[in-house]
Amino acid sequence: MALYNRSSILNSMILDRSIMNARSVTRKLRYGLKKLGSQGIILFLVAIGIFLQGCGLVFDAVELVQPLARDEMSAICSRGQLRVGISVEPFRPFVFPAVFTDEGVRVTGLDVELIREVADALTTYCGGQKPIAPTLHLTRFRDLFIEMNEGHLDLFVSSIGGNVPGARPAGLWYSIPYFHNGGIGAMIQQPEVAERIRAQFQKQSGNPDTLAAIQAGLSGLTVAAQRGRTSHLYAEANFKNIRLLICDSLPAAVETKDPRIDVILSKHSILDYVTKHVWPDWHLLTRNDGTPLILTQEYYSIVTVEEHRRLQWFLNNLLYRLAESGRLEQMRRRWLEEDYAPTRRATTEGLPFEISKVPEHYDQGQCRFATGR
Amino acid sequence: MKSRVFLFISLSLVFFLAWSSIGWSQAPREEAETTAQHLATLLTVGRLIVERNQTLINDPRKGDKGFTPEVFEHEVVDEFIRQAHIDLKHLPSHLPSLAKELLLVLLQSSKEVVADVQFVINQRGIGYKNFIPATFGSQAARKFSNRSQVTIKQTTLNPRNLKNTPDAYEENLLKRLATQPASATSITEWIDNDTTLRAMTPIYYSQDCLACHGDPKGILDISGYPREGAQEGDLAGAISIQIPVKSR
Repeated sequence: MALYNRSSILNSMILDRSIMNARSVTRKLRYGLKKLGSQGIILFLVAIGIFLQGCGLVFDAVELVQPLARDEMSAICSRGQLRVGISVEPFRPFVFPAVFTDEGVRVTGLDVELIREVADALTTYCGGQKPIAPTLHLTRFRDLFIEMNEGHLDLFVSSIGGNVPGARPAGLWYSIPYFHNGGIGAMIQQPEVAERIRAQFQKQSGNPDTLAAIQAGLSGLTVAAQRGRTSHLYAEANFKNIRLLICDSLPAAVETKDPRIDVILSKHSILDYVTKHVWPDWHLLTRNDGTPLILTQEYYSIVTVEEHRRLQWFLNNLLYRLAESGRLEQMRRRWLEEDYAPTRRATTEGLPFEISKVPEHYDQGQCRFATGR
Repeated sequence: MKSRVFLFISLSLVFFLAWSSIGWSQAPREEAETTAQHLATLLTVGRLIVERNQTLINDPRKGDKGFTPEVFEHEVVDEFIRQAHIDLKHLPSHLPSLAKELLLVLLQSSKEVVADVQFVINQRGIGYKNFIPATFGSQAARKFSNRSQVTIKQTTLNPRNLKNTPDAYEENLLKRLATQPASATSITEWIDNDTTLRAMTPIYYSQDCLACHGDPKGILDISGYPREGAQEGDLAGAISIQIPVKSR
């Protein structure tokens, strides 16, 4: 395995373990405090105040106990805000790049529409007197997981694959799918690459094996994937004879000229959109019958922390209802099939976000070779 | 004799009160009209600076554009000197106090809009960002109106943004302006028993506007709105200003 991967896996294991340890201590402490009751909690805090030096420790202890008083749903209701993480890297048509509108800076996309649905349902859940405002935190994709674990977010939605091995960090929970038609696809610029894949499928003579065809067809080529996304995990796990470029974002992969990239792997729905609307020089890789080549299926989920059971049931029940009523399908068609201008939709239905939270001078970053392959 | 003295004093008093009342009412009227004129010029200048920097703002190859609130302010101050002969950094003493106060509020509001949009315009790899004179003007006007008793609004007969829909007064004037030859002169009028000044400064389409608002009519422009099929010099809309005098 690559040194790069080893160190990142090791880091994530250490992080996961320390989070699990902290959670286990927290659970025991909460259980003990519940048994003590409110007077017991006060006595406990006074005792901590006496025995532990420094106000910071007492403050931390109060923060630790605070969830006893309010579960995550009542916290959202009393706050009047739903703190939602969303990836700052554009994943059109799920999240479009932020644009300026007559109403100020806005983001829009399928994921944003879903967030509105969740916020509306929460407004009803919370009694309907005060609307629950979704507060978007535009964060780099890799930081969403950290922000969530640090308690800065109630949930995040960013076309996150819920069923790809290695995509679920410990301590996080994934909802039932809100988008079933995901999958990893590929886009190319040079027709020769398509010819290589086509030749491999022809060799299989009616007994298709996509993985084998793509492994042989891409052998020796330069393949780009976005760091941490499911296409990266897929490439790491399934391709041995390629030069793998890890990019900070999809636009970074498209912009890279040296080395020349032969294939970019990403979510099929995103590639389908960008090859039609954003980068017409790139083309979807297809099967011999012209249908898009999907390397593996993937569905997208909403993510919360493991402990928030009430919120999780709320989300699952809501998504089930949205699927049942055809609303999710309607959203899919609106964003993936209709002809529209994202800027106009941003003006009419986009959501604002916290300017103070976004990375300064965000750019799409760059690409580098995965080392040690 | 006594009655004559009494009559003289009474007449003097009446004359003094009448004169002073004319003076009191005349001064705020002039002050308000001057203020409205300068505010319209300042918003127009802000729009012009955004238009001048449009290529830079929409450059997808460049990350940090360097179009900071400070750079914007500098360019606005220079252009305002050219157009209004007033240095916003050293406001002249003859300028009405209302104008002095509100020009600085509008300048600050405009800078805040440019500050808010920094993240959007500094995204590398993204071309059109919808930060254009119209969206800048809407936001700057709204921020300004939220923090003063004076209202500024961009309006037009066929607004893309429904919040810019003209009220009855504005609609009548816009219809009249549309039939008249282009003129940079503002139309000012006192309404509601002379307690509110309404000023309308027309905006006309320049060549740069026609990429989105010109021909072919009905075809969607880059932001997704149908083009209006406008020609250079056609009336695009107006900057509408309302200044209530008594409420000051």
